[in-house]
Amino acid sequence: MFGYLIGRLAQAVVVVFAMSIIVFVGVYAIGNPIDVMIDPGATQEIRENLIRQYGLDQPLWRQYFTFVSNIFQGDFGRSMVYNISVTSLVFSRLPATVELVLVSVVIATLIGIPAGLYAGYKPKSPGAKLIMALSVLGFSVPTFWIGMLLIMGFAVELGWLPSGGRGEVARFLWFDTSLATSNGWSHVIMPAINLSLFKMGLLIRLTRAGMVEAMGAEYVRFARAQGLPDRQIVFSHILRNISIPIVTVFGLELGSTLAFAVVTETVFNWPGVGKLIIDSILQLDRPVMVSYLVMVVVLFVMINLIVDLVYARLDPRVRLKGGA
Amino acid sequence: MLKTTLRPGIAALALLTAAPGVMAQDLMIGLRAGPDSIDPHWSTLGSQAEALRHVFDTVVDVDDKLQLKPGLALSWEAIDDTTWDFTLREGVTFHDGSPFTAEDVKFSIERIPEVTGPMPMTLYTKYVDSVEVVDDYTLRVKTKGRAPSLPNDFTRLFVVPSETGMEARNEEFNSGEKAIGTGPYKFVSWQPKGDMVLTRNDDYWGDAPAWENVTRREIPDDAARVAALKSGQVDLINYVPATDYVAMQNDSSLETSVSDSIYILNIAPSVKDEVPQPIKVNGKEIDVNPLQDLRVRKALDYAIDRKTLVRVVLEGLGTPANQLMPEGFFGYSDKLGEREYDIEQAKSLLAEAGYPDGFEIDFTCTNNRVPGDAVVCEALAQMWSKLGLTVNAQALNGTVYFPAAAREEYTMTMSAWGTLTGEAAYTYGALVHTKDAEKGFGNFNRSGYTNPEFDKVFGEGSQTLEAEPRRKLYEEASYIAMEDRALIPTVILQTVWASKAGELDFPPRVDQETRAYEITPE
Repeated sequence: MFGYLIGRLAQAVVVVFAMSIIVFVGVYAIGNPIDVMIDPGATQEIRENLIRQYGLDQPLWRQYFTFVSNIFQGDFGRSMVYNISVTSLVFSRLPATVELVLVSVVIATLIGIPAGLYAGYKPKSPGAKLIMALSVLGFSVPTFWIGMLLIMGFAVELGWLPSGGRGEVARFLWFDTSLATSNGWSHVIMPAINLSLFKMGLLIRLTRAGMVEAMGAEYVRFARAQGLPDRQIVFSHILRNISIPIVTVFGLELGSTLAFAVVTETVFNWPGVGKLIIDSILQLDRPVMVSYLVMVVVLFVMINLIVDLVYARLDPRVRLKGGA
Repeated sequence: MLKTTLRPGIAALALLTAAPGVMAQDLMIGLRAGPDSIDPHWSTLGSQAEALRHVFDTVVDVDDKLQLKPGLALSWEAIDDTTWDFTLREGVTFHDGSPFTAEDVKFSIERIPEVTGPMPMTLYTKYVDSVEVVDDYTLRVKTKGRAPSLPNDFTRLFVVPSETGMEARNEEFNSGEKAIGTGPYKFVSWQPKGDMVLTRNDDYWGDAPAWENVTRREIPDDAARVAALKSGQVDLINYVPATDYVAMQNDSSLETSVSDSIYILNIAPSVKDEVPQPIKVNGKEIDVNPLQDLRVRKALDYAIDRKTLVRVVLEGLGTPANQLMPEGFFGYSDKLGEREYDIEQAKSLLAEAGYPDGFEIDFTCTNNRVPGDAVVCEALAQMWSKLGLTVNAQALNGTVYFPAAAREEYTMTMSAWGTLTGEAAYTYGALVHTKDAEKGFGNFNRSGYTNPEFDKVFGEGSQTLEAEPRRKLYEEASYIAMEDRALIPTVILQTVWASKAGELDFPPRVDQETRAYEITPE
């Protein structure tokens, strides 16, 4: 178990390194951020001073080396646009994204898994067919469009919910979160639903597929023959057996939503990290782009690791070996 | 399924939360962009200056047509070739109660090079050689050479108290600790890309602002900003997109105001001996650059139907342009007539120049810089194809376009240019004058254009301290550059604001700024 962890972490380091090089070279290839940012009235002298000040006149390998050695000292650099440290910039916006993603994941799970179980349990019923049809809509209709519809309906026409923004926040444990106030909830609910639709559709289909397959399996027929009630068969036997693919997809979805919830964040003007990174890309704010993408890689590696650990818990046949 | 499950929940939540009621004393503005920092010396970004103007005052202010008016300085005068005296306003206090004096202005000027970022404010102090405090209310500025545009530069010179100290950086300003100015509003709080909250400064030296509390909320997404207005979350929004503007004309609950902006879409044809992207005739690259021929540039110009561009392509939100600045700006030439659309003359000019069958040329534009840049780009390509040209139009993201444009990789480009200072030196000096690093001219002259006659007249103007003779020279220089088609202006873009009908009295500004203290309840 311990050896396995060490192996996985070593892998992670390699991935992070490779990723940082790719990102760095890619960003370098786009061009000089000073040319994007600089005011039209600036003289050539001012421009050259700036390029020197930010070390952009150095060769690529040296810029990369400086970046890496700073990271080893725990310094992700300072944003060129905001002149505050990248870490505090990202962490000032991370709670907003985390709470949005958590609520949406909870909604997706609480609705998606039971709906999928039902659709697989009674695949021929009209209810099941309706669920399946809606699940297709869930991941085929574009998020921003549903988002706009929700806003037009609930904010503009009905006036029940605010059209965007993050409402009041209150302190809960160590975070300022909008989940601690009712005003905050009224702001989070619509973007969270919007963000959950895709995941919900995915969960419904995965759960249903697993369920249909399991219903015909030997152990289910055996359990039936034993006279166990259906409720017990579904929840303690089938659900456990079909949860491995669900956990995998769930983990990956969680990671990508955390990192790139940008469409929903934009439509609902949610002050999360997704919007931050898009703005940084548009302004070529190099330190933020590179550091953020490195953080995302770390996040994915961590999530994958947790998913693997959960496998072992769910399925005793899975053994975690060092370096696997 | 989803609706029936969730609707009761939503309704319950909606009942729990009182709708954010708008009181007469509060103003909530939804803006496309806000500041990057609360440090007024950090960046020259337009949205930065617009936001910080509420908290800090500038030495010189500008009216809604960008012409100079007194700010913290009541008057200014050039006392010799390299000396300007500024007479400052008396009885002004900072938000912390300390009095405003010439010492604070001196400190602010000296602080800029220490703290400014990648959009450097040193641009506005580049002519300053030294600053001397004559007495509490007189400031003497020695300039490097003659600097007639110094008062224009000082329209972006925000004043912070001299007690701020040289060590204070963005963090101290963002937290509010050092965000102390003399402006109409006091700083309450700000988050990057979030809300900027302000409260009225009751001791303001100018007219008292109408609103007690102002929130400037950043909503970069166009559709989200419009939705925020329609749902009553904000009272006013800026940069309404053209399609929504058209829809709002039929919506009696909303009101729009439109103003010409300082931004003009200009075409820059490269006149270098060797063009960066080859020009082809009948599929073969040619050795000469046809754009060097004035007749070809004129042909390109006559082939542009500006009225159609405005009416069809920009949904009416534009004005045909005949020079690089809007009317009323310092140095605007009245002699230039309206640009005519004359495809026949264009064709004959092109034939005269030796290209009766046209040529094939690359044309590169921005696609996200200003509203309409990409569509105008495509429309121009179509208009030129009527002339017989094959135009490969390409609209690129500014992130890609600007670095490549700076490397001069494009043969013909179109991008927006705004005369931020309201006078000709800023625009013609950077775009048209021969590239000259020493004099600081031609920094954005990427077409290789050089015209000794223009340089002479413009150069003379830039050395003339008296305003009226200088204006005459700049008008003359504008005329020369435009007749020579150094650049080809197309349209002046317009900006739209929208608010709930009958609630706000809002004077639109040519610089596109949304100033809360100029807005009053109707």
